[in-house]
Amino acid sequence: MADTTFRLRVTYGKTGRLRFLSHLEVTHASERSVRRAGLAYAVTQGFNPRMKVAFGPALPVGTAGLAESYDVWLTRYLPPADALGELRRATPDGLAPIEARYVSEREPSLTAALTLAEYEVVVGGPDAGPDRVRTGLEAVLADGKLTLQHKGTPKVFDLAVFLPKEPTVGEYPGGSMVRMTTRMGASGTLRPEAFISEAIRRTSADGAVTSVTRTGLRPEGES
Amino acid sequence: MTDLWPVVEPLLARVERPARYTDREWGALHRPEAPYRVALLYPDTYELGMANSALAILYARLNTLEGVAAERVFVPWVDMGAAMREARVPLFTLESCMPVAECDLLGITLPYELTYTNILEALDLSGVPLRAAERSDGDVLVIGGGPCVFNPEPVAEFFDAILIGEGEDAVADIVEAHREAKAAGLSRAEVLERLSSVQGVYVPSLYAPATADVPARPLEGSRAPARVVKRVVQTLSAHATPPCPVVPFMDVIHDRASVEILRGCSRGCRFCQAGMVYRPVRERTPDEIVRDALAQLRCTGHEDVSLTSLSTTDHSRIEEVLRRLSAAVRGTGVALSLPSLRVDAFGVEMARLASSGGKKSGLTFAPEAGTQRLRDVINKNVSEEDLLATVRVAFGAGWRRVKLYFMCGLPTETDDDVRGIGALAWKVLDAAREATPPAQRGGIRIGVSVSVFVPKAVTPFQWEGQLPMEEVRRRQAILRDAMPRKGVDLHWHDAEVSFLEGALARGGRDLSRVIERVWREGGTFDAWTERFSFARWMDAFVAEGLDASALATAPRDPDAALPWDHISAGVDRAYLLSEREAAMGGRTTPDCTFDGCTGCGVCQDLGVDIVLAGGSRG
Ligand code: SF4
Repeated sequence: MADTTFRLRVTYGKTGRLRFLSHLEVTHASERSVRRAGLAYAVTQGFNPRMKVAFGPALPVGTAGLAESYDVWLTRYLPPADALGELRRATPDGLAPIEARYVSEREPSLTAALTLAEYEVVVGGPDAGPDRVRTGLEAVLADGKLTLQHKGTPKVFDLAVFLPKEPTVGEYPGGSMVRMTTRMGASGTLRPEAFISEAIRRTSADGAVTSVTRTGLRPEGES
Repeated sequence: MTDLWPVVEPLLARVERPARYTDREWGALHRPEAPYRVALLYPDTYELGMANSALAILYARLNTLEGVAAERVFVPWVDMGAAMREARVPLFTLESCMPVAECDLLGITLPYELTYTNILEALDLSGVPLRAAERSDGDVLVIGGGPCVFNPEPVAEFFDAILIGEGEDAVADIVEAHREAKAAGLSRAEVLERLSSVQGVYVPSLYAPATADVPARPLEGSRAPARVVKRVVQTLSAHATPPCPVVPFMDVIHDRASVEILRGCSRGCRFCQAGMVYRPVRERTPDEIVRDALAQLRCTGHEDVSLTSLSTTDHSRIEEVLRRLSAAVRGTGVALSLPSLRVDAFGVEMARLASSGGKKSGLTFAPEAGTQRLRDVINKNVSEEDLLATVRVAFGAGWRRVKLYFMCGLPTETDDDVRGIGALAWKVLDAAREATPPAQRGGIRIGVSVSVFVPKAVTPFQWEGQLPMEEVRRRQAILRDAMPRKGVDLHWHDAEVSFLEGALARGGRDLSRVIERVWREGGTFDAWTERFSFARWMDAFVAEGLDASALATAPRDPDAALPWDHISAGVDRAYLLSEREAAMGGRTTPDCTFDGCTGCGVCQDLGVDIVLAGGSRG
């Protein structure tokens, strides 16, 4: 096997019906896209050789993503535009790759690098307008922390850590839209849906989260 | 064509594993313009149905027909079923998300008896009357097919027609006959009469069911055949393996590319229904196999490819196939897998060849019985020496796990035979240890899986009684005591589930009342341990005045009529009887693909021949 490998970073969406896929399902589907695309992928050494590929932070079932990423190591250089073309041809629409580029081996892994996630959360309902939702959000933020149940055990989120900047609320047909950024880390991930649902509950508004989209991922310090 | 997606989508946020219902997988076929619409239902969850290769074959086949669209349907899991009923959303196809009731034809697989209640669940969710007799001209045509059709009677009243045998050619004929009948404006009764003239098609409503002495027979005035003879394809070469089957997003069992490298098996195990009903043996050529496997890997992106059949290592040119395929996938991380292996050094050699690309999966062997005497009764041509030698070769070659399949309750079985399974497990364990370097012996794993023998229609044992449950449990206790405590993982089948399978497998038309009652009492997904209620089934038998014990455990009189006598798999009754006699006399019968025709009658009855890629076997 060739010693040199080429680390291709593929950015893709998880949209439409395919937002209902789990992270594991997305990873399997992406590996299959790479095989179908005919890319010369590297294989891990060992008893159970597998494609050498690494994924960015997981997206839960039901959450859409506009710019998710994985790295796949190739044994032969292929111009990025060609790789992108082959991958697009071999991928179902809802997971279509948007960009492919090579990154240096020295760069940290996607999960280590991309710790900030940006979301758009749509809230719908008879009185889920921006003012009402904003009031709820302010109430939660004023507490400074949020306790959520995770598999039966309470987990406390320090909002100053998990929300690096204040969410904003805007108009949206049939309700409102919250734009927010969360910080992911070793201590866990704050699910936007849980956070916003709590805000709605605080105002006793008749509304619910109708969709969650991760619009982007970025490293600390960039904007 | 109604698009139900807008009402389905909101339900998905609150159900488990929504990817079961979303469609849009790679390979899903969308033909919205096709006027004739087929819904293909597998009566269990998505992940089970997507593992079924027959369904994949028919899906691909039907979608090549001009003007025909075939779409997949699975039974929504309990949570989704409840959500759909609450929101008044009917059962839908995946691709168009259209109501099943709006399709022209609803094809339903009959994979195993415990799915029968799910057929009713699916019909009810679709808003289609449960019984053929209650359907009218505008209702979708409901056609069954699959492994359980060789005794279709327990579910016969739920179907307008049932295809006996292989579907590749028959589905095209059925669709053609139905389209013509529709175009001619025929009534439902006329459509059914016409379908009964398609070879292999059984229209239950045209027959008077069997009584104790008289087999089922066509009704007065019907032109339906006295015996419905199964459909077979002459050669698999006429039908390439679908190159681009749907690739599930969900983790499904058997999530891999697969090529059926041969169909049928004539080793002649006397308990085995598949071995009797899928005759004769027809092999694909090595060129076709390699071509189909590589095409499917390319199109699907799967990481495994399985060479499937009832007895893969019997293929007359398997060695060539494996050499060529493993060379083709070397270095790609793609693994080749073989199902259950022949119990001999050749079987292990083939497994070694298959794993030469890198991955070593476990090995599976099926001695089926614990003593030579009983193996002769069931015609399982495996000796203890073969098995132990095979195990030594396998562990010597680096394998550390084998799985052994046995049955308990076979005709003439004694306590000694049961203890024999334990004794054999001890010897296998010893042989495995001997062949393994001392430092690695901790990794040795012997799996022993013991199912309960259930007599099936169209086998030499179709007249035998099944063991009563208490007796099964007593023998399972003997088995447990006879097994090594360490190094062996013992699994056995549940006595209640096996008992019910037996009662359903050989029952008659009146069983439809029991099945319907169980479903009305909430029974669905009976094949799932957490959903199975034995009490619900037994209560339904009692309420309908039927004796489940008699159905399962009482031996049948070879002179009496059987509920499936009007269905022919091509194997002569006389052959089954002579095989039964040979069994009781402990005499074995050779495999016709190795040693010449043994006279089962299939080739003559169906006008076919065995097809061997290498000209001969052995
Ligand atoms: S008729 Fe003879 S050759 Fe054909 S399957 Fe039966 S035993 Fe084999």
